[in-house]
Amino acid sequence: MTDDTTPMTDGGTDEEARTDGGPPATVPPDDETPTWSERKEHTSGLAQLTYQYFERSRREDENLRAESTYVERDVLGFPTWPHETIRNLAITSFFVGIIILIAAILPAHYGEPANPGATPAIILPDWYLYWSFGLLKLNPINPNLAVLGGNIAISNEFLGIIAHGIVFGTITLVPFLNKGGARRPVEEPFWAAVGVTGVVLSITLAALAIQNFFPITLDLLLTLTFMLPLVGGIITYAVLKTMREGYMYDLNRRYYMLRPPK
Amino acid sequence: MSLKKQDDMDHNAWLKKQDLTVIETAFLTTLIWLDKRLRIVDYLELLETMYYRANMQMPKSHTEQYDLDNKFWYWYPLYSLGSLSIIAYLVAAVSGALLGFYYSPSTAGAAAQGDPTAAYDSVVMIMTDVQFGFMLRSIHSWAAQFMVAAVFLHMLRVYFTGSYKEPREVNWILGVILIGLTLLFGFSGYVLPWKQLSFWAAQIGVEMALATPLVGEWAAQLLFGGFTLGQATLVRMYILHVFVLPFVVTGLIALHVGIVWVQGIAEPH
Repeated sequence: MTDDTTPMTDGGTDEEARTDGGPPATVPPDDETPTWSERKEHTSGLAQLTYQYFERSRREDENLRAESTYVERDVLGFPTWPHETIRNLAITSFFVGIIILIAAILPAHYGEPANPGATPAIILPDWYLYWSFGLLKLNPINPNLAVLGGNIAISNEFLGIIAHGIVFGTITLVPFLNKGGARRPVEEPFWAAVGVTGVVLSITLAALAIQNFFPITLDLLLTLTFMLPLVGGIITYAVLKTMREGYMYDLNRRYYMLRPPK
Repeated sequence: MSLKKQDDMDHNAWLKKQDLTVIETAFLTTLIWLDKRLRIVDYLELLETMYYRANMQMPKSHTEQYDLDNKFWYWYPLYSLGSLSIIAYLVAAVSGALLGFYYSPSTAGAAAQGDPTAAYDSVVMIMTDVQFGFMLRSIHSWAAQFMVAAVFLHMLRVYFTGSYKEPREVNWILGVILIGLTLLFGFSGYVLPWKQLSFWAAQIGVEMALATPLVGEWAAQLLFGGFTLGQATLVRMYILHVFVLPFVVTGLIALHVGIVWVQGIAEPH
């Protein structure tokens, strides 16, 4: 309860102007710092456009915030300390421990010194490059063009490099081809099938890379290399499509209970 | 107006008014003495702010908000793959720095074709003479394997949970670049011991580069130091492995994680 007769620090008694002792409600603008519109006036061209856009996007943010029904919650996930910190420490030490354990029981082997004069019977990179090595062994499918008298148009090595480009390019393009809010594989059976095709292809390409170890003919192996991923993709598509209806019912019910459509 | 210094806050007078034990008095006197000179209070305030930041109660995550916890917990390992690859990267960095003390990137010392070179011998020395050297090399190798595996699985997780979608395209592309660099890390490391498989893996690399039109020969010169493998190749792979890639990859990982931080984790709904 404020005592009405108490004079304020500046000697005034106007109740409207009384504060609770905090800083003034409005901070007088600093003469040194130009406002957005002042900056806009002083610039031209791209800089002006940038400022205009900033102002717009800021207004957009404000509008969105005003329209939002999201309630800021005062509770609460796990605090960083101790819960998150201890969980992260546990995961980290467990993982590092696994690395050290594996390193101790399966030590890295060592081979013969390099000999430029003797090509080894089997050249292999580390396992994680098998798929890449498989892409370099696509020479049987390098097209022989009749126009060129049955000669190949591009060298086998360059075919492998093009294949790498296609693989990396496709992966890069994925977010631009598949848009929308769907998160779970069941919601988008097609894209899940594409993913499974890619995974199986990387495995079959690895098998193609170590073809010497397989007791089947190269023709069959090549066919399998490209057919198995397709089969995997089709099965995934069929299964997810079948699961989808019942699953989406549940998902939508839970989703709309939380955020009913307007 | 007197020249005598005005002491607005006479802490010592305040101290005398209090009924304190000897220990308390000594503590406060010391604190006041130090604070007058070093303004410790400011730093204590900083510490306090940090304490509250660390204990800040976070708003409920998407998972909690939509009551997905009971469905979500067994997916948790998949959501830690990104940080597991960073941990493996750190283990590889530490063990690699230690290996770097003993390794020498040189093809000298081979009298005839197929003789061990200095690089090969230095790795043999690490494995046989250096205390814990065998274990160290093993840890380095396995940390690299774990990192690549974690990175691949991380990409699969991101793909199958649709976490790459708008507005996270940039981070997906950054991730693709990081995977490429991780593989290059593995490849350059594989070449360093200059054993038979290293040499022929590098040979395939040179042939791939040379098969590329327009930029191929230039790339072979830049990466492998020529069209035939030798001392230049080894040194270039070494610099790539221990100087160029560590800086580039660490920077990109920081950017990658920073973007995740800014955009938030894309959790399934």
